[in-house]
Amino acid sequence: MIRVQNLSFGYKKGTLLYENLDLSLDPGNICGLLGKNGAGKSTFLKTLVGLLFPQSGSISINGFEPRKRQPSFLETIYFIPEEVTVPSLTIGRYLNLFASFYPQFDENLFYNCLKVLEVKPEGKLRTLSFGQQKKFAIAFGLACNTTVLLLDEPTNGMDIPSKTQFRKLISSVFSKDRLLLISTHQVRDLDNLIDQIVIVDNGRLLLNTSMAEVTEKLCFKSLYHLPEERVDDVLYSEESLKGVSVVMRNLENQDSKVNLEHLFNAVTAQPALTKEIFAN
Amino acid sequence: MYDTFHLPRFGRLLKKTLLERPMQIFGFTGAILLLLFIYYAIYHLPLHQWIEVQKAAFLIGLTGGGMFLASFMFGYFSTNAQGASYLTLPASHFEKWLCVVLITGIFYPAVFLLFFRLVDVSFVVWFHDHLDTSMPNYKKIYDTVGVFPFDGDKARDVYCYFANYAGAMLVGSLYFNKVTFIKVALVVGGVFLSLYLVNLLIAKIVMHDVQNAFPFESVDISVIKFSAGLQPISSVDRSIDLPSNTGKAIDILTRYFLPGALWIISYVRLREKEF
Repeated sequence: MIRVQNLSFGYKKGTLLYENLDLSLDPGNICGLLGKNGAGKSTFLKTLVGLLFPQSGSISINGFEPRKRQPSFLETIYFIPEEVTVPSLTIGRYLNLFASFYPQFDENLFYNCLKVLEVKPEGKLRTLSFGQQKKFAIAFGLACNTTVLLLDEPTNGMDIPSKTQFRKLISSVFSKDRLLLISTHQVRDLDNLIDQIVIVDNGRLLLNTSMAEVTEKLCFKSLYHLPEERVDDVLYSEESLKGVSVVMRNLENQDSKVNLEHLFNAVTAQPALTKEIFAN
Repeated sequence: MYDTFHLPRFGRLLKKTLLERPMQIFGFTGAILLLLFIYYAIYHLPLHQWIEVQKAAFLIGLTGGGMFLASFMFGYFSTNAQGASYLTLPASHFEKWLCVVLITGIFYPAVFLLFFRLVDVSFVVWFHDHLDTSMPNYKKIYDTVGVFPFDGDKARDVYCYFANYAGAMLVGSLYFNKVTFIKVALVVGGVFLSLYLVNLLIAKIVMHDVQNAFPFESVDISVIKFSAGLQPISSVDRSIDLPSNTGKAIDILTRYFLPGALWIISYVRLREKEF
C-alpha cells in the first residue's frame, strides 16, 4: 500500500533530513512511527500525504504519487496534523461542508466517535478546548473511512482518560483494509495499540517490523543484575527498583510484553545490533 | 478528467469556500459596499465633485476591495492545520484555483459593479431632481453630472489595476503564508520604486535637464532658452511621451499579458505549493 523507495528529503539544499529511505507498509496494520523530537516524523507524514515533495526517490500510495495531490488519491488518505485549527462553524455545518468530499464518510461512526471521546456535538467548534478540537478532528478523520489515516502526535493535548479512550477507539474502528500510521514521541501512548513499529532517527530508518517479530526476536524483562555471560546480547538496560530492566536477544523463545519506551531506547542506542538481529 | 474537473465536486468546493469563512467573504464584500455608500453620501452631497468622487470610489472599491479579497482567498497557510486541510482536501488544483478566480475575478466585481451602478444612479438622480431649475446655468450643471460609464477610459484603467493587483495578491498569498497583503504591497511598491529609479537614472544618462521620468509613460525635461550671448533667459517644462506604437504594446502588456500571467502563475504555484 505505501511504498517508499530511496526517499531523500531536506528543507535546505545540502542538508538532508532523510536520505535513501526505503519503507513498505501494508494495510491491516496500526503502525507506530516513533522518533525523537525533530527526527522528522511530521515531515515524513507530510511527504506521504503530498504536502512536501521529496528531493529524490519515489513514494507510491495505493498506486498514486502523493505530490500530484489528485482528488482520487486524496479521497483515500486523511492526515490529522499535530496542531489542529477548526473553522468557526458548528459540527453539523462542518459535516455539511466537508464530509461530502470523502465518499466513504460514515456519519453514524462520526457521532459514535464523538460520543466515545466525550465531545459534545453542540455549539461552534471554536468554542471547544484544544483537546476537544483535537478529538473532533480525530473523530472526523476516522469517520472518513479512508484506506490510509495518518495521525501526527494525536495524543498531544489530551488528558490521561482521553488517551485511553483514543486507544480504545482506534482499536474499535480499525479494519483489515485500512492502514493507520501514528506518529508520536510519547511512546507509551501506543502501548497495546500498534501491531507494526517504525523507528526513525537521524534521517535513517532503524526499524520497520511487526510487533510479533519484536517479541520473537527480543525479550523484555527485569533482572536483579545484568547477565555477564550475555552482555553482548543486551541492547538496552535501565536500572529500576526491582533491579535492571533489559531488552535483549530472545534466544530462548521467551514470551514477554513489549515495553515500547525501552524498545525505542534500545533501537536508537544500538542501531547496528538491531539491524543485525532483525536482518536474520 | 475526474482528477481535473468534476462539476458536482466543484459545486461542493465552491459552497465550502463561500460558507467556511462567511464573515471574511460576505462580511468583507458587504463592508466595501457600505463604505462605498457612505463615501458617496459624504462627498457627493456637499461638494459636488462628481467625477473625482466617482472615479475614486470606483478605483478604491474595485481595485482596493479586489486586492484585499484576493489576499485572503488563498489565506489558508497561516496555520499548519489549515494549510494541510486545504491542500489535502479532495479537490483538484484546478478546481481550487477556479473557485478563487470565480469569487475574486467574477463574483466580487459583478456584485461591486451592480451595487456601484445602483448607488451612482441613485445619487445622480437625486442630484438632478434637487437642482434649481431656475438657475441660469441649470442645463450646464445638469449635464456635468452623469452616471459613471463602465466602458470609459477611466473605468478601463481601473479594470487594468484590478486585474494586475488582484493577480499579484493571489500569487503573493501563495508565497507569503502570513500578513500577505502587507508583504505583497511592499513587494509591488518596491518593484515600482525600482522601475522608477532605474528609468530615471537611464533618462538622466541619455538626456540633459531631466526633471522626472515615469516608466513606460513619459520623460519630463526642462527646455532652457538662451540669449544671443548664450545666457539662459527662461526655462519651460516639456514632456516627451512614449511613442504611440510602444505605448500600444505597453498597454497590451499591462492590460492583458501581465494580469493573465499573474493569474495563471497562481495556478502553477498552487500545484507546486509545499506546506
